[in-house]
Amino acid sequence: MESEQCHSRFGRPLVTFAGEDLGHGRDRQGRLDSVVLPGLTLTLQVGERVALLGQSGSGKSTLLVELRARLGRQAAWCPQHHGLVPTLAVYHNIFMGRLPEHSTLAGLWNLIRPLARPWREVGELCALLGLEGLERRPVGQLSGGQRQRVAIGRALYQGRDLFLGDEPVASVDPHQALRLLALIDERHTTSVVALHQRELALTHFDRVWGLRDGRLVINATASELTLADLDALYPDAEAPVSSLGEEALPAMPGPEALPCARGRP
Amino acid sequence: MSSAHSSHQGHGRHWWQGCTPGLRLARHTLALAALAVVLAPFADIAIHTRDPWAELGRMAMGMAWPAWGSLESPLTAIGLTVAVAIWGTLAGVVLGFPLALLFAHSRLVRAGCAFVRAIHELFWALLFLQVFGLSALTALAALAIPYAGIFAKVYAEILEQTPRAPRDALPPDTGRLMRFVYAELPLVWAQLLAYTRYRFECALRASVLLGFVGLPTLGFHLETAFREGRYHEAGALMWLFYLLIASLPWWSHRRLIPVLLIGGVWLLGPWPSVDGALVWRFVSEDIWPAALLAGDWAGLVEWLARIPDLGPAIGNTLMLGLLGSVGALLVAMVLWPLACRHFGNRGTRLAGHSLLIFLRSTPELMLAFLFLLLLGPSLLPAWLALALHNGALIAFLVARHADALTPGMPGLSASGRLAYELLPRLYPGMLALLYYRAEVILRETAILGMLGVATLGFYIEEGFDYLMFDVAFFLLLITALLNIAVDALSRRLRPREGAVMDDPCVR
Repeated sequence: MESEQCHSRFGRPLVTFAGEDLGHGRDRQGRLDSVVLPGLTLTLQVGERVALLGQSGSGKSTLLVELRARLGRQAAWCPQHHGLVPTLAVYHNIFMGRLPEHSTLAGLWNLIRPLARPWREVGELCALLGLEGLERRPVGQLSGGQRQRVAIGRALYQGRDLFLGDEPVASVDPHQALRLLALIDERHTTSVVALHQRELALTHFDRVWGLRDGRLVINATASELTLADLDALYPDAEAPVSSLGEEALPAMPGPEALPCARGRP
Repeated sequence: MSSAHSSHQGHGRHWWQGCTPGLRLARHTLALAALAVVLAPFADIAIHTRDPWAELGRMAMGMAWPAWGSLESPLTAIGLTVAVAIWGTLAGVVLGFPLALLFAHSRLVRAGCAFVRAIHELFWALLFLQVFGLSALTALAALAIPYAGIFAKVYAEILEQTPRAPRDALPPDTGRLMRFVYAELPLVWAQLLAYTRYRFECALRASVLLGFVGLPTLGFHLETAFREGRYHEAGALMWLFYLLIASLPWWSHRRLIPVLLIGGVWLLGPWPSVDGALVWRFVSEDIWPAALLAGDWAGLVEWLARIPDLGPAIGNTLMLGLLGSVGALLVAMVLWPLACRHFGNRGTRLAGHSLLIFLRSTPELMLAFLFLLLLGPSLLPAWLALALHNGALIAFLVARHADALTPGMPGLSASGRLAYELLPRLYPGMLALLYYRAEVILRETAILGMLGVATLGFYIEEGFDYLMFDVAFFLLLITALLNIAVDALSRRLRPREGAVMDDPCVR
């Protein structure tokens, strides 16, 4: 019944999965080598802002990669671990978002001398992201948070209606995370963002998709969920540690789990 | 190598049984050494000169009191050496880079590169000498052609290891060239540059060696001085060469390279006029046996039977390759701790570093030449030269790698540090480097024949000397095939587990 509401409140469906298997690699018959998300049923509506939650390894990246493949040019893409080129300048890394729109010759010349219009546009974007003055700095010399903002800058520069981000605010402080999410919202009508901050998921998104062990266990509007509902996605958090009210620390691995055999009987 | 399988991991009843990586490597090494020891009596490793020490003394005097004044136009010789090296390398890059892009996709390109790589620069020089005469064109072609094959292979290996993430992050409809230029090339640029730099250093040594076939580089003057026993002059030339290599970081600065390139053109001339008909005759007739061109099979068999000592020559080449490799391993084992920060004091490390630089920057033909004068013509001088030069090169890389390691347990004695902390981490990589190097050692084995050691190279040079181009070319083909086979074999034997020291600068 709640999905009926969605159809009325938001626009047409953008992507629909109807009991499909998602995973990696395909053999010659087109079968998946390894299924990560079996029998997924899911619809992404135009105008929806979706937070994607789940433990590491629960299938968030697989879902995002598949969404990207289906949406193609419509979606701006901000990958996990940024996918930046450390030896190139901030300007060039952001410019890459619109690389296909330029001719080969312009693209080559731009490496030697920045083109005037992109330089101006990227400069404005850098000012918004708190990267002013760093346009010529190689990305390899930036801090983790700055790199994250460059990766978001590249996605914003693509100028699409739709934003797909795989943990785009994982390595910035909470205040910056809010600002960056606001910026993403401002420039895109629809977004799917993988997150680890559960509070942000409830306060800044219309809908939450929650994955656990390859199953979609939560698909509901943010307003009808509580933090306790989201805790169910993180089985480790059910241990007493979570009573501290922080993100659960990963349990200390026993000596058996250590990669090095030293100290074993 | 038969590995004794015991029912459980770790050590068996005897110390050599078991299948831990350490024991496997130890058995591997011992088998290699045993093979060398068993075969060594069959090699001709006698000392033929009666009084090597007097000769050695005169050489040492020459090195100690170099006669700077007696050098004729040393600057021209140095200039030509550098010009040949830099233009040869550049031509190799220009030819090799496009091939590197095709390398993974085309079996033909891989086979072609393996072939041109397998023939040493000096043999290419001997071949082109017949067509272009004693000219810069011969020198450049002799460097550019094998280097194109080497660049193609190593560049392709470097490009293959480009991280994929930036490429995947690009918008989906980005063109192939743009993808390459923005998201692949910048990621491996530093590695490509480092390898090109190393190859240029090799080119510099090769350029000196080209003097041995008559091109007027530094090697030409060096060989003349040595042969005529003018050791003080030879000493001066040697010092000049070491200064050239040692000062490489300063004069090969990025901004100076265009100057060197332009200056080089001026030194390389005059260019020969190439007679197309002559070239065509050489390629289509001279290098093939007449019987083959006439389709006379019986004649071809007879021609084959007349080639002298093919079997012993191949045997000597392989034997020298094996002995050289095992010797290089021993030399590397002994030398690397000398230049490593974990052992000795500042003084010993400086001495160790200098020794390694001296041994690895002296071309092995040069070393062999020295030993030949000392010990007389046999496999021995060639063996010593190969073992010392290649051992020093491996030791240098191992020491550099060891410097980056931090022992987990401080306060161990030097021997404890060596045996428990460093060697277990370094040895697999060291053995892998040796196997990479085995191909190079074999290639060099063949050229040592030019000094009279009865390897394939000896008969190739003889063939060129007596204008029997068909025989020389046939032996060149055999050499190339032998190298390709040994390369394939060493790739199969190379230990893979824990071999972290994969440095393209040994290939």
